[in-house]
Amino acid sequence: MSTPRDVEITVGYPALPGLEDRLEKRTVKPAEGDAAPWDATTKFTTIGTDVDRVDGLQKASGRAKYTYDITFPGMLQAMILRAPIAKGKLKGLELDEASRMPGIGAVVALKDLGAKVRFVGDAIAAVAGTTLNHVRDAIEKIRAEYDLEEHNVDYVVATDAPLLSATGQIEEPWAEAAELEAALKEAKVTHEATYRTEVQTHSSLETHGGVARWNGNDLEIWLSTQATFGCRGELAQACKAKGIDVGTVTLHAEFVGGGFGSKFSAGIEGLAVCLLAHAAKVPVKLMLDRFEEHTTTGNRPGCLMQARAGVDADGRIVAWDWRSFGHAGFTGSGGVSVPNYYTADAKKRTAHKDLNIDADPPRPMRAPGHPQGWFGAELFLDELATKAGIDPLQFRLKNDREAIRLDQWRFGAAKFGWDAARARKNEAGARFLTGSGLASARWGNLGGAGRGTPHGITCRIHQDGTVETRSGAQDIGVGTKTMMAIVTAEELGIPVARITAMTGHTTDPSGPASGGSTLTPSIASAVRHAAFLAKQTLVEIVAKHIGVPLSEVHCAGGKVGSGTAQLRWADACKLIGPNPIDERGKRHPNYAEKPFHASQCGAQFAEVKVDTWTGLVEVTRMFGIQDCGLVLAKKQAESQVLGAMIQGVSYALHEQRIMDKRSGRMLNGDFLRYKITGVRDLPRLECHMHSIANGHDSVGAAGLGEPPSVATAAAIGNAVFHAIGVPVRHLPITPDKVLAALASKKG
Amino acid sequence: MTVPSDRGFSRRSFLKGSAVAGIATTGLTAAAHAVPAAPESFGPGRHEIALLVNGKEQKVTVETRTTLLDALRDGLDLTGCKKVCDRGSCGGCTVLMNGEPVTGCLVLAMDAVGQSLTTVESLTEGDTPHALVQNFVKCDAMQCGFCTPGMVMSSLACLQKRGKPTEEQMRTDLSGNLCRCGTYGRVMEAIQRTAAGGTGGGK
Ligand code: FES
Repeated sequence: MSTPRDVEITVGYPALPGLEDRLEKRTVKPAEGDAAPWDATTKFTTIGTDVDRVDGLQKASGRAKYTYDITFPGMLQAMILRAPIAKGKLKGLELDEASRMPGIGAVVALKDLGAKVRFVGDAIAAVAGTTLNHVRDAIEKIRAEYDLEEHNVDYVVATDAPLLSATGQIEEPWAEAAELEAALKEAKVTHEATYRTEVQTHSSLETHGGVARWNGNDLEIWLSTQATFGCRGELAQACKAKGIDVGTVTLHAEFVGGGFGSKFSAGIEGLAVCLLAHAAKVPVKLMLDRFEEHTTTGNRPGCLMQARAGVDADGRIVAWDWRSFGHAGFTGSGGVSVPNYYTADAKKRTAHKDLNIDADPPRPMRAPGHPQGWFGAELFLDELATKAGIDPLQFRLKNDREAIRLDQWRFGAAKFGWDAARARKNEAGARFLTGSGLASARWGNLGGAGRGTPHGITCRIHQDGTVETRSGAQDIGVGTKTMMAIVTAEELGIPVARITAMTGHTTDPSGPASGGSTLTPSIASAVRHAAFLAKQTLVEIVAKHIGVPLSEVHCAGGKVGSGTAQLRWADACKLIGPNPIDERGKRHPNYAEKPFHASQCGAQFAEVKVDTWTGLVEVTRMFGIQDCGLVLAKKQAESQVLGAMIQGVSYALHEQRIMDKRSGRMLNGDFLRYKITGVRDLPRLECHMHSIANGHDSVGAAGLGEPPSVATAAAIGNAVFHAIGVPVRHLPITPDKVLAALASKKG
Repeated sequence: MTVPSDRGFSRRSFLKGSAVAGIATTGLTAAAHAVPAAPESFGPGRHEIALLVNGKEQKVTVETRTTLLDALRDGLDLTGCKKVCDRGSCGGCTVLMNGEPVTGCLVLAMDAVGQSLTTVESLTEGDTPHALVQNFVKCDAMQCGFCTPGMVMSSLACLQKRGKPTEEQMRTDLSGNLCRCGTYGRVMEAIQRTAAGGTGGGK
C-alpha cells in the first residue's frame, strides 16, 4: 500500500465540444505516506456527479441551527449603542441609569473616554437584558457626549482625490513614463476614459454576532464567522487584554448564514458578547440588526479608475496605462485589480492610491478589487476594440494569453450564440434595444499547503459501517461538508449516504478561513488523506481476518477483500470493534512540479434589454464557463457559479451605498432602499463547470468562491454598451445614467 | 454636545400606538376569552397568550409590542423563521397565517391569537419530509440556507394557491423573498418539480 516515489500523471482536460484535448504528462513525487494522485484519467464514481447537499434537509426544514438560533435557558439578549457622529471624540458616557433599568443584566463600555469616534456606527457601549425590548429601553437611557470634528464621507472630494472634470473624467496629468508614452504615440488607435464604481455592502442574510457562555474561566462561543480558528484566537486574546483570566476557548459555527468576506474577524460585536456574558454570568446573545450590518461590517469599496491604451494595426495591445483611486474608510484599503493577461507584450503601468474618509472601512468581498477593476478594464477594452473596428470576442482572442480561457472563449461564444447575437441589429427608433457583451474571469489559488499551516482532517470508520469526516473549519454555504463527504466516499468506495461530514467546531482539526477561494484546495487533499489512512487500517484488519497478505487486499466498490474472499463494507466494519478507526489526515505541501495551471480561468456572456423610455436595464440571459481545478461537488459548484452571477447582476444594476454628507450616515441601510437582486431581476442563467486536473496535489482542486464573481458586472456593462451604442462607465447602471448616456448620444 | 442615544427609527414607540389600535379593532374577536363591552387595554407588561401553531395551541408570554416572529422564535423555539431585515422587506420570516404568507416581523403576536399559523417546521413533522422540502434538496435550492425556510414557505403558499404555477406566477409569489447567495432559479425548479409530482399543497 505504500506510495510510489515517482508517479506519472496526466494533467489538463479532455476537449471541450468542438475543440481539442489539452492533456499533458507530469511526473510528480507525492509525500511519503500520501495517497497516489488523482488525475485526468481517473475514473470517478462519486466525484463530479450530482450529489445532494448533505446538510440540505437540515437547511430546507428550518432545523439547522445557525448562531442566531442558539438559545439557552436564562440567556440574555444584547445590543450595541452606536455613535451617531462621523468624527470626533467620546467626551462623556453615563451608563448607570441604563444598568438600573428593569431586566438589564450587564452594561459594558466599548470605547474609552477621550477615544476617537471614527464613523457613524462606531461602537460605544453594549447592553444585555431579558429581551431586546428591555435592552432598547435601557439603551435610550445611556447618555453619550461627543466632541464633534468635521467629517467627510465622500471619497471623490477627499484630500488626495484626483481632479475631476464636469463629466466625471479624471483630469489630473499622468505621471511621466517615456517608454509608455512612446508606445502610445506609435499605436494605430488609442483611447482614454474614466470609470467609477460605488460602495457595495456584503449583505449576508445572517448578520454578524454571537452567543457567549462562560463556565468559570472557560469560554464557549457560537459565532457567525467564516474563520473559526482565527476568531477563536482573536477572542481569547481580546478577553485577556480586558483583564479576564481565560481558560479554554471553544468556538462553534456549524451553520453560517453567508459571509462573502465580511466575517473573518469576530469584531467588536464578538468581543462585546463575551464581555457581557462574563459580566452577567449567564449566556448572552448579540446579533447585529440590518442597519448595523450595512454600516459597520465592511463593504466592497467604490473606486475611480482611468485607463489609456493603444493597439497596433493588428489589433494587439501595445501600450496600457492604468490608475485607480479606491475609497478606504477611516482605515483599510480600497485596492483595485485589473486583468494582466491581455497586456503581456504591452508597455504597461498600473498605479493605485487609497483615499481615506470618515466611514466604515472596506473588508474583503468576494474577489476583492476584481469586479470593479474588471468592469473598468473590460468596458475600456470594448470601447478600444470598437474604435479599432474589431469584434470584442476577436479582440480577446488576439490578446488573451491564457490558453484555457482561449478555449473557453470559443466554447462559450458557440454556446451563447455570440456571432448571431452581435450581428442582430436593433430597429431604428425601437423602444427596447438589446445588446450582448462578454468578459473574462481569473483568480489564482491552488491552496498551497493551506497557506503554510498543516491543516488536518479526522476520518473515523465505525463498526456500524458509518463514517465521519470532520474539520474545524466552517462551511459558509458553499458546500464544504458535501465536498468532504464526496471525497471521502470516493476514496473509500462507498456511497455518500454512509458518511457524516461535520464542520465548524474548533474541537476538530484546524482548517483555514473561507477566504480567497482557499478552503477547498487547502483541505480537499487532507480529507482524502484521512480517508486513505482509515482505509489502510481497515484493510489491515480485514487482511488479518481473512489471512491474506496486506498487499492483496483492496477496498473498492463497497467491498473489502482479496479475490473471492470479499467482505461487504458493513461486514468488514463489524471487525473494527467498539473503538472506531480514527485517523488524522493532513494537507501535504503541493508537489514541486509545475501544476497544469496556477490560476482559475472563466468567461461570461450577457445579453441585456434596455428600455430607452425608462432607462431600465434587464439582463435577459447569461452564460458562464468556469474552471476550479477538479470539480468535486458538481451540483454545489454550479449553485455557487449561478449565485455569483446573480450577485454580479446586483452589483451591475442595483447596489449602491448612499451616504448623507451632512450627518455622515448611510441613508439606505436597510433592504427597502438598498436593493439587492430579487427573483424578478433573475436572467435565464446557464453555467458550465470546466473540470481541470491541475496536478498540484493528490486531489487537484482549486477554489471557486471568487472566480465566477469577477466577470459578471463587466459582461453586463459591455452588453449595455453594445445595446445603446454609448458606454455607461459608472456602476450601478441605473436608469438615470442610461437616460443620460442616451441623451449624450443624441446631443 | 449631547446626542440622544436613540438608535434610529424607534419601533417601540410606533408599535405602542399600533398595538393598541390593532387590539381595539381585530384582536378582540380573536382573543380566547370573552369580549368585554369596552375595549380592554393590554400592556405595557407581559401577557400570556395562546397561539395556534402547526395545529397545536401553545402558550407564550409576550408584551403588546412583541412581534409574531419574536414570539415564535424566542417563546416557542421555532427558529426556522429568521429575522433578517425586521422590516418586512426580505421574507426571511415568512410563515402562513390562515394559509396566507405573512412576514412574522410585521405581525404583532397578539394579533395572531386565534389565527391558524403554519411554520416551516410543520413540513418535516411526519415520517417523510414534505415533497417541497425534498425538492429543495434535490434541486440544491440553497447555499448558506438562511433564506431557505422563508423561501420554502413562500413556495408552499404559491403551490397551495396556484397548483401548477407559471414562471410569472412564481416570480410574483417569491418577489418578497431575498436571497444573497443567489438561489432563485433553483427555488423555482423545486416548485415546478413539486407541482409536477402533484404533491404540492398537501403533506
Ligand atoms: S441561500 Fe444564502 S441567502 Fe439564500
